[in-house]
Amino acid sequence: MSEIRTELADAARKALSHGQAGDGLARDEAAALPGEMGWLMAHVPEDRGGLGLGHEGLAAIAKELGRALVPGPVVAQVGVIAALSHADAFDGRDALLEAAMGGEVMTTSLAVAPTGAMVTCVPDADRASHVLVLRPDRVALVARDAPGVTVIERPTWDRTRRLFDVVVPHDAPAKVLAEGTAAQALDATARSTMLFALAADALGGAEAALAMTVDYLKTRRQFDRPLAMFQALKHRVADLQCAIAAADALLWQRAGDADATLLAMGALKAHACGVYRMVTEEMIQLHGGIGLTAEYACHLFLKRALLNAALLGDGDHWDQLSGRALLEGTRA
Amino acid sequence: MPEPYDHLDTLRQTLRAWLAANAPADWRETCTSHDGFLALQRKWFTTLIEGGWAIPHWPAQGPHGAWPGGGRGLAEQKVIYEELARADTPRLILTFVSTYHAACTLFEWATPEQQAKYLPGILAGEIWCQGFSEPGAGSDLASLRTRAELRGDHYVVNGQKLWSTMGQFADKCLLLVRTSSEGAKQAGLTYLLLDMKAKGVTARPIHQIHGDEEFAELFLDDVHVPVADRLGAEGQGWAVAQSTLSSERGLTLLELSARMRGSLWRLVELVGGDEPGVLRDLGRLATRIDAAQALADQFLAKRIAGEEAVGDASLVKLMYARTLREFTSMGLRLGGIGQQYHEPIVFGGGMETGNWMADFMNSYAWTIAGGSDEVQRNIIAERMLEMPREPKSWVGA
Ligand SMILES: Cc1cc2nc3c(=O)[nH]c(=O)nc-3n(C[C@H](O)[C@H](O)[C@H](O)COP(=O)(O)OP(=O)(O)OC[C@H]3O[C@@H](n4cnc5c(N)ncnc54)[C@H](O)[C@@H]3O)c2cc1C
Repeated sequence: MSEIRTELADAARKALSHGQAGDGLARDEAAALPGEMGWLMAHVPEDRGGLGLGHEGLAAIAKELGRALVPGPVVAQVGVIAALSHADAFDGRDALLEAAMGGEVMTTSLAVAPTGAMVTCVPDADRASHVLVLRPDRVALVARDAPGVTVIERPTWDRTRRLFDVVVPHDAPAKVLAEGTAAQALDATARSTMLFALAADALGGAEAALAMTVDYLKTRRQFDRPLAMFQALKHRVADLQCAIAAADALLWQRAGDADATLLAMGALKAHACGVYRMVTEEMIQLHGGIGLTAEYACHLFLKRALLNAALLGDGDHWDQLSGRALLEGTRA
Repeated sequence: MPEPYDHLDTLRQTLRAWLAANAPADWRETCTSHDGFLALQRKWFTTLIEGGWAIPHWPAQGPHGAWPGGGRGLAEQKVIYEELARADTPRLILTFVSTYHAACTLFEWATPEQQAKYLPGILAGEIWCQGFSEPGAGSDLASLRTRAELRGDHYVVNGQKLWSTMGQFADKCLLLVRTSSEGAKQAGLTYLLLDMKAKGVTARPIHQIHGDEEFAELFLDDVHVPVADRLGAEGQGWAVAQSTLSSERGLTLLELSARMRGSLWRLVELVGGDEPGVLRDLGRLATRIDAAQALADQFLAKRIAGEEAVGDASLVKLMYARTLREFTSMGLRLGGIGQQYHEPIVFGGGMETGNWMADFMNSYAWTIAGGSDEVQRNIIAERMLEMPREPKSWVGA
């Protein structure tokens, strides 16, 4: 498995190498790659037309997307794909799934919990064919051009992502994927997948941010020596490296754990995003003034890190749930 | 090659059943004195040897037959440690240096005669200590000054060693000494096996801040060590010492992270109400422990596959040490004023006993010993991330 993981990551890195951080135009082109390259089908079981590479395959790809700051709705899209591939068969499911895996944009909310008729934090809703409305009692797919469905752009600080609010009237025509307890399970599957993808995106980003920082410290000279020679800076960098390594080990462990619960994925996401945030915060400080300039990529990483941290439930949310589960003896 | 899953599963079930019948139950009550501690550690070591679980990391065969329970693959060792931790058995602290540091160094460097002389004693429960550090040589170990002079068929050793874990109970000592002051400081070191009962050896226990006396100061006054008890050649001590230093890495931390995770209930027990801030910090810590454990696990898997890279061990140790500090701090915080009333420690109770002031102070063992956090950070930055070293020499005022 780990060989396939490396191969996938290498292929993705190669394909994305033109979309280096900071190069806005190239990154927009990169947004089309996941569909074209078949990356969106990596985690889908083979009997559903996917590559059957599970969460390992997903992590390998999502890390590269995070590393190259690739724009687009991949995190939401893999959630929709997970829901479609795990839903009981319904009329037209296979065609929808195939289209979604091929890159037709189908999106969903990355908000922590559903709110009324307004579905919030929906990536790329303006160019989506469908919006998946995830609720614990009902999971339904709504066509973007269904009567009454409207999208409102909510510009974010993170310019590598585009978020929308979507108004979905209660009576909008919808394909119901699941209801009742089945909906709860499907909702959890989709959320787990998205949380996991966000964690992988965060760690790919964190690795890139740290590598850029170390490179910068080696090149920049002050006091007649490279900054990288100062131990005060070395030790901060070493702590970041340590935090990334441990979070990454946890990522792969959860990737291989078929029994990982929604809470386990939420806790992983909270942890990984905490590390990403810490790394990017330090990245700017260790770059000095240049880190505050828009031409330099530091800010892109920082903004993506902070958005990742806020999506699908922040650290406080998941940590509190973990703490409660420990108290109640329900934590794995 | 990783062992097939069903084989590991059988091993796990076998050991679990053995532990159900043999694991000591009331050791936390009996280990409130040094005598109780020594008695329990000796008995548990013997029981484990008889069961074939004490030395899974030894080779299968010795010069005179099979070692009892040796020759286990790393994946098997991992299962054994996980189960020992799960059953809350006492860690083998008294014989840790013997079965790890001493044995692994002997396997690599000792002549057949030396192996035959020393290894059976280790199995019989002989206690070894490590005499490397000195008052003037801590992180900068190679600057050590204890002198050994060759006189005919023996060395005469003079000097002082510090922080020798279990030194006051030890029968033997792994001793690093200086035989030459010429050239690079590492090149003048020699490795000796010292009999602690030799004339001129004095071990004085050091009273630690949490009430234990886990290590000792050794005074060496014209001590005679036969040349036959030298490991490696004269001047090769630094290379031999590297075997000693790397012998405990990996597996120990796997065991210790498993034990930390298994001890989370001690914190949970202290949470009174429903305070979101407390729940969050507890939850965050629990995930951090999962990450520390995953890292130790991954490290071992890499070792099994022969893919260990420079600095990997430092990452594992630094992560474990910092997480243990957080764990024990959380205990202190949740325990409140109650933890400020003195409570005697359980000797050999491990890193998390629920006596939080003691546990907190004891957590420094991991941030200082075996290469401090700062030294690990230097290794990560300079060797792994290839950041330039500082200029070597300094001419002080
Ligand atoms: C519980 C315990 C058990 C031990 N058991 C043994 C044993 O069995 N046998 C044995 O020989 N030794 C043993 N030791 C000794 C241990 O190896 C040393 O304590 C350790 O190497 C640090 O040396 P030091 O105490 O002299 O601190 P120092 O080296 O004096 O360090 C003091 C402080 O300065 C920092 N520092 C030092 N050098 C640098 C640097 N280059 N860059 C940045 N910061 C630096 C250190 O991190 C530390 O914070 C044990 C220690 C402990 C705490």
